[in-house]
Amino acid sequence: MRVQLFATCLGDLVFPDAVADAAALLRAAGCDVEFPAGQTCCGQPAFNAGHRRAADRLARQFARAFDADTPIVCPSGSCASMVAHRMPVSYRVWELSAFLDHVGATPTARNDGVRVAYHSSCHLLRELGVDEAARRLLAQTGAEVVPLARPDLCCGFGGTFSVRNPEVSVAMADDKLADGARADVLVTADPGCLMQLQARAGRTSGGRVVHLATALARGVA
Amino acid sequence: MSFPLLDERRLAATDAATLRLLDGRTAAWAALDGVEELRDRAHAIRMQVIDDLDGHVDRFVAALEAAGGRAHVCATAEDARGTVARICAGAGLAAKSKSMLSEEIELNSALEEAGVEVVETDLGEYILQLAGDHPVHIIAPAIEKTAEDVAVLLSAVEGAQVEPQLEALAQAARRQLRRVFERADVGITGANFAVSDTGSICLVTNEGNGGLVTALPRVHVALLGMERLVPTLDDLAVLLQLLARSGTGQTLTSYTRLLTGPRRPGEEDGPEELHVVIVDNGRSRIRDGRYKEMLACIRCGACLNVCPVYRKSGGGAYGPVYSGPMGAVLVPLLRGLEREPGLPHASSLCGACTAACPVKIPLHELLLELRRDLVGEGIASRGERLAFTVWSLLWSRPLLYRLSTASARLGRPLGALLGPGRTWAAGRELPRFARRRYRDRE
Repeated sequence: MRVQLFATCLGDLVFPDAVADAAALLRAAGCDVEFPAGQTCCGQPAFNAGHRRAADRLARQFARAFDADTPIVCPSGSCASMVAHRMPVSYRVWELSAFLDHVGATPTARNDGVRVAYHSSCHLLRELGVDEAARRLLAQTGAEVVPLARPDLCCGFGGTFSVRNPEVSVAMADDKLADGARADVLVTADPGCLMQLQARAGRTSGGRVVHLATALARGVA
Repeated sequence: MSFPLLDERRLAATDAATLRLLDGRTAAWAALDGVEELRDRAHAIRMQVIDDLDGHVDRFVAALEAAGGRAHVCATAEDARGTVARICAGAGLAAKSKSMLSEEIELNSALEEAGVEVVETDLGEYILQLAGDHPVHIIAPAIEKTAEDVAVLLSAVEGAQVEPQLEALAQAARRQLRRVFERADVGITGANFAVSDTGSICLVTNEGNGGLVTALPRVHVALLGMERLVPTLDDLAVLLQLLARSGTGQTLTSYTRLLTGPRRPGEEDGPEELHVVIVDNGRSRIRDGRYKEMLACIRCGACLNVCPVYRKSGGGAYGPVYSGPMGAVLVPLLRGLEREPGLPHASSLCGACTAACPVKIPLHELLLELRRDLVGEGIASRGERLAFTVWSLLWSRPLLYRLSTASARLGRPLGALLGPGRTWAAGRELPRFARRRYRDRE
């Protein structure tokens, strides 16, 4: 199957290894992975801040870069939701874990005996209704998936929210990291959550946070 | 401008209470068969009223007056304050049960200026009145107060030490408030719902005060937000199945009171006069536009309990009356977006509020709309608009995207000194841009 990989801007610029891991997982699942060269950003930062004209510009570029009839897979629930729900064109877009689960991918056992906790990213959970796929995939890699006390509690990123309300944003990250401390590694399917949680953990030595694609493709150990 | 964090003590009190309420709601919904269908029906009932609000107000007024009550339709908070003050003229003491609408229209101070003593009889509101504070939660107004805080306040009235134990506190408040019920000339309440068909008002409470306030004083004044109507008693039953479950996790609250008109000839209790003050105060401005679904709100508090921003900042951060996601949407609509430009941003857009709303108000979508209006109406700063315009012009061209991000790694030390980067870095490491972008590896 041919799929178009949407790296997302954060994936392209900050987490290229996670994007490479996503591409590897898709190839291992038998997909022919294309990377449309014209892709930039889905425009969500502007859309969520209320700047619709700016978001429209990015949406038009997205339409120039991607083919609406070929599945698009993206290692971000939030960007997948943006593409699915807030663009003038209807795309066949999938978040990575949902797609891998859908095609019956069986990731290699690389996490035997590792205790991982999965953070349910807000837009993936509530706007796309995807939650169990990532846990199933993690379990297939041999990981012990430890339930979080509040898996659906926001990590506090929220795009511009993180700098408009920094104190609250950081306190939310602390709650998520404290909850995640029950496992060896906290896994998230969203580059936004990953950036927020790693950034706070880096300041507080608050535990390891890994992108789902990396946890599945290379293991967390 | 940014939302503050509660101090540790109030944070702990808020966390404990909101988590208890939210887990109660989750369990109550899980135990209710067909909860999704019920939510859809509730949404439809509320929108049916909002789409014909004038018609429902007219029907309600006619039915209320046929039952012997008096209706007063008030366009503004000032009208409503004046109307209640006139009804209370000559009264010495008014006993009040909980009403967020009375907070919205700032009723208490108006009555006190008119020479009427007002005592709040809902325990939470009584505590706040003694403390001189505003409510911080629409159903649990004193949620940030601890038993110790309350003991100090009640001891001062009692003239003796009241122990900070729940039973002792409740007994002290009961003694103190009993004297108020016995002396009050007027009882003032809110109304959770009113029924267009029958002219009835419905009061949903967990304390006995609502009954005493509506039965003992000679005059009962009920404040009704004009949108809180439901067409029929059957429709009311649908909403009652959701209200308590969503607010506290109870199947029903301890008291659900349905009042139709004042005391009738031959009846032994109830007020001689019943006045229902129907308040618009900006609601009819909302009903025709993109925000009309906000009028479906039944004030259950579920969105507050589930909101991580509310739980970190507390209700006071949103202003003196409505708080949490429902407040972040409603307050700018009632007061004007230009006066409340921070509220639409008091959300990470996690959508927990939308998922928890029993009447399916798309709260986080409405916040997005308000943000759009902040930009469209020129309330967002010029600098912010310029930044997004320039950014979008660059990133909507692949070549300019590549050029602008080619040296992103060099931007990191610079970013630490500038606006958003500096704010970010106050509590977090700045993100490290990769040596090679993903696109360079393809």
